[in-house]
Amino acid sequence: MNRAAILWRVASILVAGSFVAAWQLIADLRLVSPVFLPGPDRAWAALVRGFSSGDLAGKLIGTLEHMAYGWLAASIAGIALGALIGSSKVMRAYVAPSLEFLRPLPVSAIIPVAIAMLGLTQGMALFVIAFGAIWPIMLATIHGFAAVEPRLYEVARSLQMSRAAIIGKIALPSALPDILAGMRLSLTVALILSVVCEILAGLDGLGQWVLLSARAFRSADLFAGVILLGATGYVTSIAVSLVEQRLLAWQTAAR
Amino acid sequence: MSVVARLDEARAARRQKTLIAFNAATLRLGGKTIIENLDLQVRPGEFLCIVGASGCGKTTALRLAAGLYRPTSGSVTFDGEPVTAPRREVAIVFQDYGKALLPWRTAAGNISLALEAARVPARERGARIEALLRKVGLPGHAGKYPTEMSGGMQQRLQIARCLAQEPSTLLMDEPFGALDAMTRQGLQDEVLSLTQASQTTVVFVTHDLDEAIYLGDRVIGLLPHPGRIGIELDIDLPRPRDQLATREHPEFLRLRRQLFDFIKATEH
Ligand SMILES: Nc1ncnc2c1ncn2[C@@H]1O[C@H](COP(=O)(O)OP(=O)(O)OP(=O)(O)O)[C@@H](O)[C@H]1O
Ligand SMILES: [Mg+2]
Repeated sequence: MNRAAILWRVASILVAGSFVAAWQLIADLRLVSPVFLPGPDRAWAALVRGFSSGDLAGKLIGTLEHMAYGWLAASIAGIALGALIGSSKVMRAYVAPSLEFLRPLPVSAIIPVAIAMLGLTQGMALFVIAFGAIWPIMLATIHGFAAVEPRLYEVARSLQMSRAAIIGKIALPSALPDILAGMRLSLTVALILSVVCEILAGLDGLGQWVLLSARAFRSADLFAGVILLGATGYVTSIAVSLVEQRLLAWQTAAR
Repeated sequence: MSVVARLDEARAARRQKTLIAFNAATLRLGGKTIIENLDLQVRPGEFLCIVGASGCGKTTALRLAAGLYRPTSGSVTFDGEPVTAPRREVAIVFQDYGKALLPWRTAAGNISLALEAARVPARERGARIEALLRKVGLPGHAGKYPTEMSGGMQQRLQIARCLAQEPSTLLMDEPFGALDAMTRQGLQDEVLSLTQASQTTVVFVTHDLDEAIYLGDRVIGLLPHPGRIGIELDIDLPRPRDQLATREHPEFLRLRRQLFDFIKATEH
């Protein structure tokens, strides 16, 4: 790490620190009633208590499960569909307009449909999360497959590579930067929708924890849940970024 | 021996002397005739150079020979069989080496692509890759990505990948067009030594008339709109060629004059 990077890291920690300090100050001065706003000290205590004596760990695992299953399903389906559409000019011409119509549709609009069809079940949650998370992945994959250098396909033809080898060794690696960027975007979508589904369907998870804490005016528990959600988003996103950096090491090799 | 048998034999002998043949090959693309009635025979082991003004159809002719295009009428044959698709024994060296290499694979990985396609067992690949990198003057660069290499090194790498196909024929489209003069001369000599020893047939497209005469056994000049043969020169310069001696040879200067006059007459 060079000096500039260290300075940036120090600066970002300072900003976060002063944010927490300001929060503590506001709580201590009782600018907002403690019923609604606990200080970071109380939120932290609630977090520790939730893990040691409560079932916060179980809720966290519940949310992680919803998120992971939905995200993985979206990734598999999104990459497969995106590859199918993106690698064929004809498919792109036929399907692209429908995608443009479906894409801006807010996912919240299909939640009632999903509930009507699947009930307040895990299946409904999986469907909604996957449906919302598939778009960034699929669109990025379509773009990635459409943008493969045509010269590389000619190289593949002159080597008489099989269709499977062309997809696995040329098209997929070429589209991988786009695909991974799409997967990182949809991670956030999956987390948001996991919480929404847990709140709506009362499924085991942080969404339900937050909702119940709010209803009972346990603001410290509520904040503990919110902090945990933020941390989940942050950590999972960093994990995907690390995988991304590893897989795309060739992109930074020259720079 | 019957007359028929003797005729067959004569035909077989003639066929043997031709590896690639364009027989009245015509290609139309987007309503435009790009190559018209092209008749051209390439002999096995020959180094044939194709020159011509920009846009006269040199690349298109090469792509016909490669099987990347099919003629609209007439035929293109390789070893007596119609060319319908690219084949592994015919390797293509593209001008834009930057686009023809896989940026996510190292030098070794790029060469490995050709070996994988030829189903060379994994444990044999390492040694083959080593040998090929040494052959094209890139020993010790196995772990580098293409973006970490200079233009000349990238083109060497593409040539190494083509050699990994163990081709009987190399089709090269202005392979050194984007390189500086010194690098280009070095690579010219390397290509000559790589192909002359193994009797590899080469069809070499270039803008550079000196390069064509220096390398070739024969030089074809194409006329534009539509592409057809305008001049054909046999190059009887002694081999091995030498960057200084060959280029000062009176015959070299005579051929150079003839080719320049032809090209000038086609450009106005
Ligand atoms: N796919 C295509 N569709 C329509 N016209 C084409 C196509 N490819 C090439 N042409 C045209 O055919 C002609 C010959 O092209 P070609 O690329 O073979 O020329 P070239 O001799 O290789 O030129 P250069 O020296 O610039 O590389 C040009 O006029 C070009 O515009
Ligand atoms: Mg060309």
